[in-house]
Amino acid sequence: MAADLIESVAKILFIFAVNVGVFAPILGWVERKQSAVMQDRIGANRADILGFTAIGLFHSLADAIKLLTKEDFVPANANKFFHTLAPFISLVPAIAAFAIVPFGGRYELFGHEVHLVIADLDVGILYVFALAGLATYGTVLAGWSSRSNWSLLGGLRASAQMLSYEVAMGLSIIGLIMVYGTLKLTEIGAIQEDFFRWGIFLQPLGFIIFMTCAIAENKRIPFDIPEAESELVAGYFTEYSGMKFVMFWMAEFLEMVTISAVVTTLFFGAWHIPFVTDAMLLSWFQFAGPNGAAALAMLVNIAVFFTKVSFFIWLQMTIRWTLPRFRYDQVMRMCWKMLLPLSLINLSITGLVVLLL
Amino acid sequence: MTSVQVGIPAAVLKPKKVRRRLDMTLWEKLYVAEIVRGLVVTSKHFFINMIGFIFPPAGKKRKIFTVYYPEEKLTLPPAYRGRPVLVADAQGKEKCVACGLCEKMCPAHAISIVAAEKAPGERYPERYTLDLGRCVYCGYCEEVCPKEAIVMSDEYQGLAQRERSRLVFQKEQLLRPESKVKARLSYVRRIYSKWNY
Repeated sequence: MAADLIESVAKILFIFAVNVGVFAPILGWVERKQSAVMQDRIGANRADILGFTAIGLFHSLADAIKLLTKEDFVPANANKFFHTLAPFISLVPAIAAFAIVPFGGRYELFGHEVHLVIADLDVGILYVFALAGLATYGTVLAGWSSRSNWSLLGGLRASAQMLSYEVAMGLSIIGLIMVYGTLKLTEIGAIQEDFFRWGIFLQPLGFIIFMTCAIAENKRIPFDIPEAESELVAGYFTEYSGMKFVMFWMAEFLEMVTISAVVTTLFFGAWHIPFVTDAMLLSWFQFAGPNGAAALAMLVNIAVFFTKVSFFIWLQMTIRWTLPRFRYDQVMRMCWKMLLPLSLINLSITGLVVLLL
Repeated sequence: MTSVQVGIPAAVLKPKKVRRRLDMTLWEKLYVAEIVRGLVVTSKHFFINMIGFIFPPAGKKRKIFTVYYPEEKLTLPPAYRGRPVLVADAQGKEKCVACGLCEKMCPAHAISIVAAEKAPGERYPERYTLDLGRCVYCGYCEEVCPKEAIVMSDEYQGLAQRERSRLVFQKEQLLRPESKVKARLSYVRRIYSKWNY
């Protein structure tokens, strides 16, 4: 019992530290630096501590200090309760969605079975969709409660866009679920031990649709109509400043991490190296004794998983700094007239194949 | 009179092929291939520059030409018109003879000269005041000067001040040895000799 508790707390702390302590601040830096490198610029490198700039990493620190000490402004006539609540509703699902993502296999450590996932839910992927739906509330509430025209327009657009894309996103995944026959992400991950059973080979179309919808759900650039810097100032979070603004900002980056983690788990073999099974890993690390072998294998799993996650974060950043943004009607047309029929076609073909084989 | 051929002769010119159909082809409408093409272009830049950052090439050759300003400074071409300065002769005295042409020519009335005589018939500027808050860096003073006494230098720093009075420069502050403005002087001689003044 106590071992279970320690294991859970350790896993939660680990995921929380990785997300809030590593990914959230680092991604702010990565966003700037990567865009700079892609566009033949140098990027942020001025913030320094005692003349030591650490290739611009201290800009995250400077940002954090600046934003934390800023005035927390609530506009007159705003609904203060919901205005305060909205950033929390945005941020919490982004972190909470990570609970069901497995970042490693199942190992025996000191006679206790360690399972590298915080909550191994039977509904699995549905939990991610539920939290994505919840994140919509944060956006809409932020837009509505600010009492600003820009925010309200942003909130309206966000609600339309996010609800539309959730439909296509859900349908694009059903094909994969039919192939694997399970909703549990840990089981989906375990099935992908076989390289040729990776989701990308079984459902290439599903992957493209899911990735597109996921980026749209995250409201990043090709689909940034709720934020729309060029039209709506900053869209639904126009009226936010200081800590609350940081929460929206962090929510965006953590959603990016979550999307990458889910894509990795569903389509890119979760924590597996191609052609290497967990049993093989254990046998390679036999020299460290059974416990040491399990620990080393776990570390390898975690490293492989987060490498894949980093790659997908890189991909999303590249997409964000490559593609121009869509118009509002183009976003909706793309969802309802292209992605939804495509995912339905994908679903029927998958169904036919599963039935015949 | 000899006629000089300028540009490409008309007979050689060929019409450029322009794609008139602006509708997207089916391949382009599918987006995915075009998106991948765009991603390849940007990632190519990304990886080439990343390699350049991690293993910087020796010498001045580098892919990214952003200048790290306070640490690095550009060597400016002689055509650059920076702050006007007075040229000093070998004795360190100004070449200016206080004829007042620059003062007259200056479109912004930035120059004011108080003339005096060293010896009978030999004038010099007792005070030469240049208000850089007014100066528009047109270079007319340099063009009009019969003695090559005022030239545009390549100096561009120290022109952001909180008080306008700090932008008023006196003769002593403006004097530069001739060696410092040599490149500009030869450039000026070359460029202005084209016109028949």
